Amino acid sequence: MHAYDFAAPRSIRSAIDRAGGESAYLAGGTTLVDLMKLEVMTPSRVVDINRLPLKGIRVDGNGLRLGALERMSDVARHPGVRSRYPVVAQALELSASQQLRNMASMGGNLLQRTRCGYFRDTSTPCNKRLPGSGCAALTGENRTHAILGTSDSCVATHPSDVAVALVALDAQVELYGPHGRRSLPLGDFYRLPGNTPHLENHLLPRELITGITVPSLSWARHSGYLKVRDRQSYEFALTSAAVALDVSGGVVREARVAVGGVGTRPWRLPAVEQALVGRRTTEAAYEQAVAHAADGARPLAHNAFKPELLRRTLVRALTTVGEL
Amino acid sequence: MTSVGTDVDRVDGPEKTTGRARYSADRVLPDMAYAHVVLSTIGKGRIRAMNTDAAAGAPGVLRVYTPFQPLKLYPPPPGYGETYAVLQDRDIRFRGQVIGLVVARTFEQAREAAALVTTEYDAQQPSTSLAAGSPGVTAPDQGQGAPPAKFAVLAPGVTSIDQALAASEVTVQGTYTQGSQHHVAMEPHATVAVWQDGHLTAYCGAQMPQVHAVSLAAQLGVEADRVRVLSPYVGGAFGSRVATWPDIALASAAALDLDRPVKLVLAREQVFTMVGHRPAVSQTVRLGASADGVLNAVSHKSDVAMPMPTVGSWVMVPAQDTSGALYKTPNLAIDQRVVPLDMPPTWAMRGPNEAPGGFAIETAMDELAVSLRMDPLRLRLRNYATTAAGTGRPWSSKHLRECYETGAERFGWSSRPRSGTVDGQWLVGTGMATAIYPAARFPAAVRVRFRDDGTAVVASATADIGTGAVTLLSICGSDALGIPLSRVEPRLGDSALPPGAPAVGSAGAGSTAPVIRSAAQAAITALIDLAVTHPDSPFYGMTADQVRYHDGYLDAGAGRSMGFARLLKLTGTAGVEATANGGPGPEAGQYAFHSFGAHFCEVRGNRFTGEPRVSRFTTVVDIGTVVNAQATRSQIVGSVIFGIGHALLEVDPLEDSGRLAAGNLGDYLVPVNADIPDIDVHWLDIPDTVYSPFGARGVGELATVGSAAAIGNAIHDATGIRVRDLPITLDKLLG
Ligand SMILES: Cc1cc2nc3c(=O)[nH]c(=O)nc-3n(C[C@H](O)[C@H](O)[C@H](O)COP(=O)(O)OP(=O)(O)OC[C@H]3O[C@@H](n4cnc5c(N)ncnc54)[C@H](O)[C@@H]3O)c2cc1C
Repeated sequence: MHAYDFAAPRSIRSAIDRAGGESAYLAGGTTLVDLMKLEVMTPSRVVDINRLPLKGIRVDGNGLRLGALERMSDVARHPGVRSRYPVVAQALELSASQQLRNMASMGGNLLQRTRCGYFRDTSTPCNKRLPGSGCAALTGENRTHAILGTSDSCVATHPSDVAVALVALDAQVELYGPHGRRSLPLGDFYRLPGNTPHLENHLLPRELITGITVPSLSWARHSGYLKVRDRQSYEFALTSAAVALDVSGGVVREARVAVGGVGTRPWRLPAVEQALVGRRTTEAAYEQAVAHAADGARPLAHNAFKPELLRRTLVRALTTVGEL
Repeated sequence: MTSVGTDVDRVDGPEKTTGRARYSADRVLPDMAYAHVVLSTIGKGRIRAMNTDAAAGAPGVLRVYTPFQPLKLYPPPPGYGETYAVLQDRDIRFRGQVIGLVVARTFEQAREAAALVTTEYDAQQPSTSLAAGSPGVTAPDQGQGAPPAKFAVLAPGVTSIDQALAASEVTVQGTYTQGSQHHVAMEPHATVAVWQDGHLTAYCGAQMPQVHAVSLAAQLGVEADRVRVLSPYVGGAFGSRVATWPDIALASAAALDLDRPVKLVLAREQVFTMVGHRPAVSQTVRLGASADGVLNAVSHKSDVAMPMPTVGSWVMVPAQDTSGALYKTPNLAIDQRVVPLDMPPTWAMRGPNEAPGGFAIETAMDELAVSLRMDPLRLRLRNYATTAAGTGRPWSSKHLRECYETGAERFGWSSRPRSGTVDGQWLVGTGMATAIYPAARFPAAVRVRFRDDGTAVVASATADIGTGAVTLLSICGSDALGIPLSRVEPRLGDSALPPGAPAVGSAGAGSTAPVIRSAAQAAITALIDLAVTHPDSPFYGMTADQVRYHDGYLDAGAGRSMGFARLLKLTGTAGVEATANGGPGPEAGQYAFHSFGAHFCEVRGNRFTGEPRVSRFTTVVDIGTVVNAQATRSQIVGSVIFGIGHALLEVDPLEDSGRLAAGNLGDYLVPVNADIPDIDVHWLDIPDTVYSPFGARGVGELATVGSAAAIGNAIHDATGIRVRDLPITLDKLLG
């Protein structure tokens, strides 16, 4: 880790003023400090945003609003989130560990970096870390890597669980930067790697995430998050699925489906959502609806199992939520 | 009133749980400097040039050592670890080898400067494929009484194992593979080195403090008596602190060169390549049996990845104490080989031969049971051995049959769910396997000293690597002297103490406990001698046999009794002590010595996504006398957890480049609490008085053996899928 300047401003305005150049905002630090120790992120200035007024959880008729500095654990524990958006609470509780969730913020979660082992090891090539240096994962150990949205430059997954749930729920990110406020659908916030995998999202220089909003969706009560992994806890997803179902009389009227662990960004599956509409809530019907979920997948040497696992993850998640 | 065999809380528990226990890295000495290592980033080749200017000029940096500006070091003595000394040449033997050491005023400065060192290499392609190198060459001889790496015992008239297999009514064959595994002890390797008047004190984790001191002295080129290793607390070892890895010698040499104490704590990632790991191994087992399940032939071959001879390692021989001893068979062939590769050092890891070997033979036995449509427990009972197949020797004590029976009953084996039972989303299966581990006994010396404050010191240069050895000194000392635990002061982890048993091979307790008894007896004799010869003693003038010692008192009958503290005070004696030595006797050449156990488990596999989860586990062991029930339970539970990691999670793939792909705790998965069910543990507690008069054989590794096989066998029972390549991850179970 290199020596760096440190600032801990009290207002959003002054945080933005202090940022710039090679600076990084510090929230819970569970991604940033980790990657600084590994020399993967080397900011010359760290701007601590923990004193900024970016807290607050609101659940009402308009939906859900989460301040960017809300800790994962506080959001997961919130009764309104738990009852109206169980998929969000579950995605959070299946993330990291309790200790990490007590530190990690919602804004930081959306901006966490990939867990690709080559990204995290400065002795290997990685186009995301060092543009143009190559991608070691293409021919290396790639069992955990992405199969959707990949390019010849990068096959790293986006690791966030809660982002998958939020994308399924049409969440928006609220941003505040030198040029004022704006907001973006979370689904459009992330970029595909293409040949610029170091550009991961549409955040502008010095811009802050101030909050996350989720529009009201009454049947989001019938939602759930399934995370499939080798270890029972404390591991990132091999595959995951965020599912919400509006069911009446044993028939699906509407559905929301997004998946994790397989895409270079949180991956919404609109075709699966459509295919579910009008189907009965049976395993066989789900199987048909998800048959094309992994179309377009580009498996690698060690993750050829992921398309099949993805379909099965979806059937299992749908079966579980459908039984609620 | 003895506490032997009861639940005894660790005597050092409060220190450890309150953070008062000072582990190596917790030492802070005046004027101490901090070191950080620089590691190679290619798998094989030679260093062309290194640029250390930026590092040397960075804030706080005291010195940068490289092969171009080395510290003088020598290789450890043969068998003590690696075969080369770091920084002495420009050769890159493996990726993650030490090529530099930066010493600075603070840890942060040393780490920052280490990152500024740049290196140019002439790279070569390392050879890294175990499969491509198989079959390898016969493993080097283990020396001293060990069986050869390759041997066969054939029935009269049988000319080869192949012939015996061909003549069997039923045969099964399987090749079982597993990748590199790591000890990942909680405490990363750390050293604080300080010199005074030409004498070195090194604080570092050591399973054998005296062997560490000898090896360290050799690496530094100084006499062994100038090196003292202090290792009072060790945050886990599992074999990773048997050999000295380069960190200890580097810190010590830098401390000498800079004339100030130096601390070197490896980053977790550095531990993965600098400390020897369990290498990848491929094993092929062939079994031949009659249609009713009587074994006729057992063949066990292994190919082990090995960084020989350029790096050095300990040699894994997975078959000899598993297939070589488990079952009765007229024909046995063992063929243990190694495949030389360019890879980081390898070393023994908990159940070093037997955990991999046990997975192979105990899975193969299950495959045989399946093909015979026979209860796997019945198959094992049918082939129960009363003499070791490899050597023909009878066992010192063997109660495996009771382990099977008790375990089956506790688990409910006879009423287990039928194969392929479904419970909601989960497929349920059960499996069992046998555990076996050799019971070595090492020479050990123990000193017992009565002190005039009423306490007694029990001292031996063994180590407590987290197992509870220090508590064992207290328990056995208290038992032998008849005084409460609180009046025994245990001492270990110091190379200056009497030569202790190594904390390896699960033999620390078994080797030390009987000698504590002898040392206590000798100290009592010395105490009585003082009592009858010192003029100020009330026992003065009596003969030694007129004075009895019991429970801390000297007693001459007729009310003439006195505590030892009072006697010492009256005679103006600070303490009376004696040292005893003990070790294996002639029985060593006549018997086979093993501990045994039986595992039974239930595993659930998700019927959609495959992930296997262990839901129930019962282990029953036969380990001779139990010294501390609580520590014994912990060792067995910990060993089963090792088995869960071995079966389901742990692997560090070696890439073509020579890079270990999962060399960090994010990618190298060990079980977390959620992976571990309640583990039901039971022991027989039948003393093995042939092994030692005390009767305790030790327990540290036994249950790591066979536990992975039991899990794999249960997965097969649940899913019908036989996975022979560990770990058994969900992608292998998607069907
Ligand atoms: C061992 C481990 C296991 C984990 N497991 C999981 C898991 O299973 N699932 C999962 O989803 N996540 C997991 N995580 C990731 C964890 O959730 C993230 O590290 C965490 O959410 C990041 O939040 P933070 O507040 O600590 O961010 P920080 O580390 O402080 O910041 C992360 C990044 O976001 C930027 N940033 C932070 N806040 C803002 C803001 N408001 N505006 C603009 N930029 C900002 C920072 O500059 C930095 O670049 C794990 C992390 C660890 C260390």
